[in-house]
This record gives sequence, C-alpha cells and structure tokens, in this order.
Amino acid sequence: MIKSEGNVSVKARELSPDSGRVETRPPEGEIEGDDEDEELDETLLERLWGLTEMFPDSMRSAAEVSAQCSLSVAKKLYSFSRSALWVGTTSFMILVLPVVFETERLQLEQQQLQQQRQILLGPNAGMSGGMAGMMPPAPGKL
Amino acid sequence: MGSVLAASAPSPPPPGPGGAGLVSVPPGFTMPSVSPVSVTGGSINGQLKTDHPLPNPGAFEECHRKCKEIFPMQMEGVRITVNKGLSNNFQVNHTTLLSTLEDSSYRFGATYVGTKQTGPAEAFPVMVGDMDNSGSLNAQVIHQITDKVRSKLAFQTQQQKFVNWQGDAEFRGKDFTAAVTFGNPDVLVGSGIVVAHYLQSVTSSLALGGELVYHKRPGEEGTVMSLAGRYTGSNFIATLTLGGAGAHVSYYHKANDQLQVGVELEASTRMQDTSVSFGYQLDVPKANLVFKGSLDSNWVVGATLEKKLQPLPLSLALCAFLNHRKNKFQCGFGVTIG
Repeated sequence: MIKSEGNVSVKARELSPDSGRVETRPPEGEIEGDDEDEELDETLLERLWGLTEMFPDSMRSAAEVSAQCSLSVAKKLYSFSRSALWVGTTSFMILVLPVVFETERLQLEQQQLQQQRQILLGPNAGMSGGMAGMMPPAPGKL
Repeated sequence: MGSVLAASAPSPPPPGPGGAGLVSVPPGFTMPSVSPVSVTGGSINGQLKTDHPLPNPGAFEECHRKCKEIFPMQMEGVRITVNKGLSNNFQVNHTTLLSTLEDSSYRFGATYVGTKQTGPAEAFPVMVGDMDNSGSLNAQVIHQITDKVRSKLAFQTQQQKFVNWQGDAEFRGKDFTAAVTFGNPDVLVGSGIVVAHYLQSVTSSLALGGELVYHKRPGEEGTVMSLAGRYTGSNFIATLTLGGAGAHVSYYHKANDQLQVGVELEASTRMQDTSVSFGYQLDVPKANLVFKGSLDSNWVVGATLEKKLQPLPLSLALCAFLNHRKNKFQCGFGVTIG
C-alpha cells in the first residue's frame, strides 16, 4: 500500500508541472477502490450468469424454453382454476342449492312434526304403528 | 273444477317469430309454435299396437315432447297469473307480466271446453283465446269432428295484423296417425305451407314415420322431407328425427318416481350448429316441489323451481338462467293464484 501511495504522489508531482499531457487515468488507489465496489455489486449476478456459460448452447436454450413453458403453464393453470371455480360455484348454486334447501326444510318439518307428536301422545307416538301402551283415556271419557 | 281443468288446454304462446314448431321452415316463413292440447295417450284398443301422439305442426316433437318437457323454461321479470273458473266449462285467466327487457303487458285469456265428452279427461270442442293489452290475439279451436278425426284451427295476430293462421286435420287409425296441416294459406298471393305427417307403429314399442313439408311463395317453392323413429322401452323413450333440416335425437329416461332425465342433441343445417343439452326434473311431492335443471353445450345453465304454497291455492315459480360464455344472467319469478 505504501508503495502505491508513493506512486500516487510521484505521479501527481510528475503531472502537475506538465500541463500538456492529459491524464485520463485516475489515480490507482481510486481505480482499484472503484472497480472493487462496482464489480462487487455487478459481478455477483454477472458472475453467476457467467457460470452458466459453461453449459453447451443447446442445453441452455432447452433450459430457457422449459422455464418459459412452465411459467406460462402455471399462469394458464391459475386462470383456468379461477374460471373453473367460478363456473362450478355458480352452476352448483343454480342447479343444486334450491333442492338441497327444500329437502332440508322438509326434513326439519317432519322432525318437528314427529317431536310434536311425541310430546302430545307420549313416546313411541312418532313411530308408525307404535300403538301399544299409549292408548289415551279419551275413549273412556266418550 | 270439472272438465275445464281436466282438458288442460294451455293458452297459445305469445306472438313472435314462429318456425319453432315445424322442423324445416325456410326463412321468411313463420309458423306458430302452437302448443297442442295435451291429450291423454290416445285410445289403446285391446291387444293392438299402441296408438300415436297427435301429429301437430311439430308433431315429431310429440315424440320429442316427453324429453322437452323436462327442460326448464326460461322466463324473466315478474309474472302474476290469476286463474278463475267461472263454471264447469269456462275458465278465465288474467296475466300481468312485468318485464325487465321488454315492455310490461297484461294478457286476458279465456278457455271454453264443450260438452262432447270423448274420454275421461277429454271434452270437445276446446276453445282457447288470449288477448294482449296491445290487441294481439292468440286463439285455438280444437274439435273432434268424428270418432277418429280431430281438427284444429289456430290464429295469431300482432296488434291487428294476422301473423299466423293455420288449420289441421288429424286422422287416427288403428295403429297409425296421419295429419295434414295448412299454414298461412294465402290464395290471393299464392303462398302457403302444407305439412303432412304420418306415424305408424311397427311393433309395440317402435314407431316410424315421416314428415313432408311443402312451402310455396310467389317465385319459390320447395319441399323438405324428414323421417322419424321412436322406440319406447320400459322406462325410457328414444327418438330420432333425420331430415333435410338436420337431425334431432332425444332420450328420455325415468330413473325413479322422483327423477326424470333427458338428453337431447340437435343439429340444424339451416343454422349450421349443433347443441347437446342435458336436463333433469326432480319431483318432491311431499314438499310440493318440482325442480327442473338443464345444462347445455353452449355453456348455458338454467333451473326452474315450482312450489305450491299450501294451504293457499298459490304456486310460486322461480327461474334462473346463466350463460357462462357471454356472462349473462337472467332470473324471473312468477306467482299463480287459483
């Protein structure tokens, strides 16, 4: 480092009296520092990309094509699943849901009726034909 | 309400471009899609072969009718109908249609059923008339002239102009049915349509027949012919119609007491398209419910729900149709009182 600094100072002294010679090259320390900083940012990606250059061209193009393909397939799959979900849900709502509601309501009504009958006439009243042991005293009163 | 309801004569359909009834009406000709009186099955004479459906315009859809009845009917807006029976023979109905797409309208209809009783549920003559608030009239008169001959006259006007007028006569033989229909005959201009139908039972479950349409206009005339076959199984009916106007295949299947299923394929040469539809009808009598759904190859999904609201004599109809391709939705509901 001391050597480079020495060189820098030497060059500066050499240059300053000489106005004719245009020095386009910045001082070495600065060059090295700048290159290191810039190369550090860029060359990471560029280095990694540069590594792929070791593969043969056909393989690189095949990889590129397959990557693009899989990306477009994923996009299509996503949009297909979206529209399929919409079509499926709305068609289900139109074709199936009303029937489901009505049959559920019917079941609930029948259950309620059964429960009411049970309460009125005692247990086993809801069962069809379950008459044993639940004859009410009404006939006697008649 | 006696024989008026038993005859169940439906009111004629609203005016509009016809041609739906006839298989092969060329452009420029309109025929009313007149719905025939739904007559119970025909006379079955002992051990003879079963008789045939009425060959009306669109007669081979009587073969296709069982399948078509399963499909839901598309309607939009609100429809309120009041049916009132004035006597055993006479019935009146008022219909108010509030529409989102077209104008709202009021229709008045009357049905008269005569006294000549030919069967337990049939009585003749039957006269059905329907008038719009703008003066458009639909009228049908059906009469059983002799034992085997039944004839029908139908008229349709748009305001005061006659749009459709047709008459037909149908002869029912022992195992065949023949019918002739004259549509929009105009002697002055020299135009008209004549349709001849013939349907013959070949075996107890197979019926074959044909249809011939002759249309004439000043400067143009032509004929279209088509053949039809219908096979009735124990719980299914399969019908095929092939002709100059295209092919129509329908299959109706009764899966059990509650579920009926139908599949239909229509290929039309005039409109150069084919479509397949699948429909089902679900009856839940305990819930007073009739549900019809359909699924189409044109990406149309539709359903109709009809429910009787006991104990009042009300019935409610809800309908929803969704066209996935065009992303259009239509819904409607109707209430029928009486």
